[in-house]
Amino acid sequence: MRVLIVEDSPRLQRTIGTALRKSGYAVDVAGDGEEGLWMAESHDYDVIILDIMLPKRDGLAVLGDLRQHGKSTHVLLLTARDTVPDRVRGLRAGADDYLIKPFALDELLARVESLCRRAYGTKQALITVSDLEIDTLGRRVRRRGREIELSAREYLLLEYLARRRGQVVSRAEVEEHIYDEQVDPMSNVVDSAICCLRKKLAVGGDSPLIHTRRGLGYALEEVPAGAVSS
Amino acid sequence: MISIRRQLTRELLAAFLLLLGGALAALYFAARDEIIEQFDDALRAKAAAISSLTFQEETGLRVDASDQLFRSFGREHPRDFFEIRADNGHALARSPSLADADLPLPNKSLDRPRFWNLDLPDGRPGRAMALKFTPMQEEGEPRANAARPQLDLVVASDSEPLVEALTELLIIGAACGALGVGATAWLVSRVLRRGLQPLARLGEQTARINADSLTTRFPTGDLPAELQPIVSRFNELLARLEISFERERRFSADLAHELRTPLAELRSLAECALKWPESRDRATDEEVLAAATQMQMMVTSLLALARGDQHQLVAGAVPVNLFELATEAWHPHAARAGQRELKVRWALAPVTVAADPALLRSVMGNLFENAVDYTATGGEIEIRLEVIAGSARLRVANPVENLQAGDVAKMFDRFWRKEEARSGGKHFGLGLSLARMFAEAMGWTLTAELAARGRLEFTLAGPVRE
Repeated sequence: MRVLIVEDSPRLQRTIGTALRKSGYAVDVAGDGEEGLWMAESHDYDVIILDIMLPKRDGLAVLGDLRQHGKSTHVLLLTARDTVPDRVRGLRAGADDYLIKPFALDELLARVESLCRRAYGTKQALITVSDLEIDTLGRRVRRRGREIELSAREYLLLEYLARRRGQVVSRAEVEEHIYDEQVDPMSNVVDSAICCLRKKLAVGGDSPLIHTRRGLGYALEEVPAGAVSS
Repeated sequence: MISIRRQLTRELLAAFLLLLGGALAALYFAARDEIIEQFDDALRAKAAAISSLTFQEETGLRVDASDQLFRSFGREHPRDFFEIRADNGHALARSPSLADADLPLPNKSLDRPRFWNLDLPDGRPGRAMALKFTPMQEEGEPRANAARPQLDLVVASDSEPLVEALTELLIIGAACGALGVGATAWLVSRVLRRGLQPLARLGEQTARINADSLTTRFPTGDLPAELQPIVSRFNELLARLEISFERERRFSADLAHELRTPLAELRSLAECALKWPESRDRATDEEVLAAATQMQMMVTSLLALARGDQHQLVAGAVPVNLFELATEAWHPHAARAGQRELKVRWALAPVTVAADPALLRSVMGNLFENAVDYTATGGEIEIRLEVIAGSARLRVANPVENLQAGDVAKMFDRFWRKEEARSGGKHFGLGLSLARMFAEAMGWTLTAELAARGRLEFTLAGPVRE
């Protein structure tokens, strides 16, 4: 899951960024409205955390532009403006959620998570693919009741594939949603990560769940439908 | 609670009652006197008739009672009475209506006719007249003076009709009075209610005003002239209240906002450190300290402003060399100005002013800090000190971008900043409010204007010490 933080306070950029990265999200940061709008329009984020009072371009104006340009990315407004009219204005401008500063970090993470789930059309916290269970709240993965240890990035990759189970996910889409701008797009990080994940999921000789569709990408499903798997 | 309408009603009614009572009493007494006068005239006429029909004959006194006049003196249905007495009080003649009874004589001398009220022999109320007269010798001619005995004549009439008329008059007067009072009470109440309607309406409208409806203004067009100045002043007061409430509201919102951001920073820094202890490093602690220091600076500024608002700011007035103080106040900002490659043009004249050195240094420090922070890299700051008409003026000017005249007017408002975003840092938008408060506490002025060549110029002015 890839999140964009548009926030002018460097301290909040740092703490929210750390919290999200530690929770397995890929995070990009913008310090003003113009940069935020440019980044939001150039990448396909799962969630945007947007401050309202921003230098150069107001957060509500950024949100308005995004919606006008047809971007339906879920937006969480994070602001010190706490009055009811402010909240109403924010939600009417097209925001999906509203959180007031100061906030509890856990609440922010839970809201981002909830918006991510909604981004993939589900409200369930437990995703099941064949004998694989992914608990998105506890961030735990079990196969046939056995717990599988994954790194944050691996978990993120698995959750993304699971949320789009049965669909072919291109390498570019994985890069877009799982990796932030710090990752070199020319590297084969996606292939390596998929390989590691496959190994961890296949412990005990279980049937493979991640299948490669040559020239197209990857799919997480029980039985490959006419595709060559490796 | 005092009610103007009730008080006016009470006082107007009391005044009317007094006037009406006086008028009715005067009317009653005038009418009574007139009726009694007429009654007495009738008595006088009867006495004159009796005296002209009374003859002194050899055999004694004869009263010619054949006249029509004497019908009411008869035994049947007697209404009038008379009695003639000699000087010694001996009754010489009396009307048949008296039978054997006597009519009393007044205690006063009868040198002129006397009138008085009395009880008639049959117990009815009556009115009598007594006079002295000389009986006729022959019909139409009185006797010669020498032989004429002076007799006392008492004539009395039944005064029951008189008493009845007076009682009737009294009843009519009282009824008219009561009716008048009732009608007046109703009329006064109606007239006052109608007359005081604009006041009542104003009261109702005023009662509806609260902190959320300060935009209300009272229409003055259809108001009575007496209320217009009150309502106009009231509207002005409302306008001032609205501005001050709005400023207060904005200040509270800004204050909450200003405190929320560093609080959010502190909280999230602490939560991150607790949740992922390995992510906490020296930089984290430095950020915590910076956020706490920022909040402390803001609270210190707010406390200073609060003290100023409560007039607890005491400014001294000692001779201060403005030239030296300005140089000293610039010193902490010189290094940063150098880093930002700013050119500083000085034009200082040596001048001694009367001021509080600590407050004056703080004001100048704020102006210099703003100039250094808000001038674009490589720009030029101009600091000029001059004396005009006994007033020392320190002008600090620097080029600015995107600043409108409206912005300059708001510049001294608390928490005002050109950019709505509060990106943290050392500027909260309180410095200029404080600077102006300090200047005013010393009796100085601090103003800002957009000068030529896109420059913002602050002028700090105060009295020169002679």
